[in-house]
Amino acid sequence: MYVSKFEASMGTNLLIYLALSALLCLSKANAEIVNTNVERSLDLTSQLVKTLTKISAEDTAGKPIAEYVFFASEPSLAYILVKDSADRNVQIKKNEPLKGEQSFTLTFPKAFAKQSFLVETVASKSILPHPEEIKQNDKQFVRYSGNLHFYSKYKTSSQKTNVKLSSSNILSHTQVKPFSVSSNKITLGPYENTEAFSQEALVIHYENSSPFVTVNTLERTLEISHWGNIAVQESIQMTHTGAKLKGSFSRYDFQKEGRSGLAALKSYKTYLPASASGVYYRDTNGNISTSNMNAVRDFIELELRPRFPLFGGWKTQYTLGYNVPSYEYMFNDGNKYQLKMHLIDHIYDNMAIDEATVKIILPEGSSDIRLSTPYSISRLPNELVHTYLDTTGRPVVSFSKSNLVESHISDFTLYYSFSKISMLQEPLLVSGFIYIIFVFTIVFLRLDFSITSHAHKE
Amino acid sequence: MTLDVGGVARGLLTWEKQEHLVKLAILILAAVLSFATRLFSVLRFESVIHEFDPYFNYRTTRFLAEQGFYKFHNWFDDRAWYPLGRIIGGTIYPGLMLTSAALYRLMWLLNVTIDIRNVCVFLAPFFSSLTTLVTYALTKEIHSTGAGLVAAALISIVPGYISRSVAGSYDNEGIAIFCMLFTYYLWIKAVKTGTIFWSDHALGTFGLCQIHAFVDYLRSRIPKDHFDLLFKTLVSSVLTVLFVVGTLLTLTGKVSPWTGRFYSLLDPSYAKNHIPIIASVSEHQPTSWSSFYFDLQILVFLFPAGLYFCFSKLTDSNIFIILYGVTSIYFAGVMVRLMLVLAPVMCVLSGIAISHLLAKYIKSVDAGGSAKQGVESKRQHKKLEQQTGGVKSEVAIGFVGVITLMLIVYTLHCTWVTSEAYSSPSIVLSARSHDGGRIIFDDFREAYYWLQMNTPEDARIMSWWDYGYQITAMANRTILVDNNTWNNTHISRVGQAMASSEEKAYEIMRELDVDYVLVIFGGLTGYSSDDINKFLWMVRIGGSTDRGAHIREKDYYAANGEFRVDKEGSPTLLNCLMYKMCYYRFGQMYTEGGKAQGYDRVRAAEIGNKDFELDVLEEAYTTEHWLVRIYKVKDLPNRGV
Repeated sequence: MYVSKFEASMGTNLLIYLALSALLCLSKANAEIVNTNVERSLDLTSQLVKTLTKISAEDTAGKPIAEYVFFASEPSLAYILVKDSADRNVQIKKNEPLKGEQSFTLTFPKAFAKQSFLVETVASKSILPHPEEIKQNDKQFVRYSGNLHFYSKYKTSSQKTNVKLSSSNILSHTQVKPFSVSSNKITLGPYENTEAFSQEALVIHYENSSPFVTVNTLERTLEISHWGNIAVQESIQMTHTGAKLKGSFSRYDFQKEGRSGLAALKSYKTYLPASASGVYYRDTNGNISTSNMNAVRDFIELELRPRFPLFGGWKTQYTLGYNVPSYEYMFNDGNKYQLKMHLIDHIYDNMAIDEATVKIILPEGSSDIRLSTPYSISRLPNELVHTYLDTTGRPVVSFSKSNLVESHISDFTLYYSFSKISMLQEPLLVSGFIYIIFVFTIVFLRLDFSITSHAHKE
Repeated sequence: MTLDVGGVARGLLTWEKQEHLVKLAILILAAVLSFATRLFSVLRFESVIHEFDPYFNYRTTRFLAEQGFYKFHNWFDDRAWYPLGRIIGGTIYPGLMLTSAALYRLMWLLNVTIDIRNVCVFLAPFFSSLTTLVTYALTKEIHSTGAGLVAAALISIVPGYISRSVAGSYDNEGIAIFCMLFTYYLWIKAVKTGTIFWSDHALGTFGLCQIHAFVDYLRSRIPKDHFDLLFKTLVSSVLTVLFVVGTLLTLTGKVSPWTGRFYSLLDPSYAKNHIPIIASVSEHQPTSWSSFYFDLQILVFLFPAGLYFCFSKLTDSNIFIILYGVTSIYFAGVMVRLMLVLAPVMCVLSGIAISHLLAKYIKSVDAGGSAKQGVESKRQHKKLEQQTGGVKSEVAIGFVGVITLMLIVYTLHCTWVTSEAYSSPSIVLSARSHDGGRIIFDDFREAYYWLQMNTPEDARIMSWWDYGYQITAMANRTILVDNNTWNNTHISRVGQAMASSEEKAYEIMRELDVDYVLVIFGGLTGYSSDDINKFLWMVRIGGSTDRGAHIREKDYYAANGEFRVDKEGSPTLLNCLMYKMCYYRFGQMYTEGGKAQGYDRVRAAEIGNKDFELDVLEEAYTTEHWLVRIYKVKDLPNRGV
């Protein structure tokens, strides 16, 4: 506002330039952003730390704020999303980590002197089991360590933190007044006037019986057929990363005692697209016979039970596959095709994936492949696979991404061109083959290979 | 169905072509049927390898397909027979693996990206289709085309053969029967036509016949006295060389003398008296009369008739098939598993019988039909009647009807037997619940997968040898003994560990570096072939070597001489390792309504020793229905604790 007025009144380029540089110098020197009010809510009910931070910032000099530097305290931050007061997405740029501290530069769509915005982050591996080993009938206790204060480059006038836990069984937590505890909620603060970069430990030790399950590797393969089908296959290796099972596993206790193995993963729900069909759930030893499928209105709920309950430290591996009709995900304009599908899909609630690899197998003869993804991924080299009735091989686009959570479920778009005539190649190949067999038989039966001539017909 | 085809085509094709078409249609139907009828288990469960031995074959095939032939040939398997290991490449007959790996490679070459497991699962049905075709060819050579077609149809569904060739039963037998019949066919063809071309192929089994033919050839060419001299020197020198080489090889251990299984074939009581490990296998038991009927049904009665027709027209090939039939019926009586060898010849001979009889009587049926048409044909009919031996058309119709009925009953019986008795993969069990629903017991795979996922890569697992192949294939862990029962002492050692008290067993387990022990327990579900029911064999085998002298079978019987697990049972049994592992904490379980805690549903008894703790083991995993229980061997306690 101020700038535009200035611009209008003076009117000459030189002056604008001078004024702008002066302004920049001023803002560098003494203009200061202050967090007037910060409200954090930490959701620690699952294995993930979901933080919602509502920040109101103000420039002391009354200058508009265009950029803001946000520090993420969790070391393994998986996901970050920032929205401004009008619910618009705020552009996020990851900075070079300084002394192991992760920071992001937020660029607002519009610069105001007072900015109020919402930062949503999800971090995995920040809640650790404590003790690290428990017996089968023991409860799982975990410890969260974070920062009591909102860690920021700027001064914070007033801040408050609400923590939501999975149970009211809290062994201990950091007690800096003022605070209050009610059932499974802890409110810390408000704390007034904290300095920039102030650090004070927040440790909460509480019971969390939700299974801490991490998907170590996910390999998702999408095989596109232009005959109307997309085959999806997910190979998953998962480990229970909660408190390890100490001593023996007793099936008797597990079956008879309700409190036995509370933190063990017995079954979980995977959501598939509503049009999924031909679902299979198997491992290297064959079909896993314990699963249920329910069609809910706009998705399919698959209740998967691993072959054995997953206790702390135990792992399992399986393959889940299904088919979906391609018309829901594929769009074309002439020979130009566009594939829009989930980059990863739901595996279980509050999932954490260490490493995901996605492979997209396109039909034979696809070219001009271009990929656009909702977040940065690392592309792997393209390859070719040969399968049924292939001659030149199908192009495979593959990429990988580490540290993913549920919020990462969103669509990628793949553009490619494919000429419709190449669809005829496979049927022609089959009919040609059969034709050759018949011709060969006809010729063969009419030829006489014997050396001696037969006097009579056999 | 085939008659329809003939009817439609009558106007278009010549008689010869019609016959060809009918023949082809019958053969194709039989081949397809023999494939399809073996798929019960795939449709009911899934495409999975069955039983025990097939898992070893599958594992080796996978290795061969992935690593190539040279690696396979030099394969030293350290996953089995710890700490001895096993040289797989040199100790197996790789025909089966090579066949499937070759098929697999061929298909991949054609870009048919099929899984090696599916190749293995469907190999036996595929080869039984081929067997159907070969049976036709063989019977045609021996008797006639008609007999060949009937034999092909019979063999496509005969339970005696299906029992070892359903989809998933991936074993040598699946291919062997095809190869055997194919060799017979080639040989008979060679004998009949006298061409070297056919006999070359059959040389493998019938080398002697070729030599004989060569001798005959020489005899015709060389003067008599020269020949005699040559013959004598040749025969004596060959015999001497063979004897010397044979003795040398046997002494140096390169060639082992005939195995115990072979002896027990000649003398059925041999195994029972000398080698308990062979006698302990159910498929090595003598065949009961009922299982002959169960596996062959009407073939049992048609077989003598077929023999009669062969005797009535003695030719070389008929004598051959008579010999084959008679010897195999003896061997099938000695061992259940040799029913497989008997089944094809039963089909061939029954095919001959049925076709012979039908051919005879159908003529009269036709004659009866045409007789009604006019006076003129009546004379013809008389003529025909004389030709066919004077059978009235009513009798003929009745006879044909009876044969048809028999064949229909045979088909129904075969389908029923296949579906009920031979199509269970035995790795997945199923039972009916009270409300009629199907309950699946998938405990074996649950346990094996648990082992694969949650034990250290080099963990050594002790179990009874029956489960060895499955553990190496599905759990990929090292085991002490497996179904290749080549080392009796080692198996005996495991038997001793199972049969000893905890302290004694701990010594043995420490000696063998055991990390986990796996037992099969059916007491909760009522699965009767569990380790407690096999336990007496472990005791017998355990006590059969010097180191197991302390294990005496009679110690495990109750005072009245019975084998009981309840309070009356012998204290030795109630405190041995196997008992403790099976019944650990079982004393607290309610298994059946109205029965006390710890009621064993297989033995129908309340167990005798309930409240005990394990000192040297800890429960590592027990499957959902308690079918498989895995224990971890505790480490030695730290000093001073």
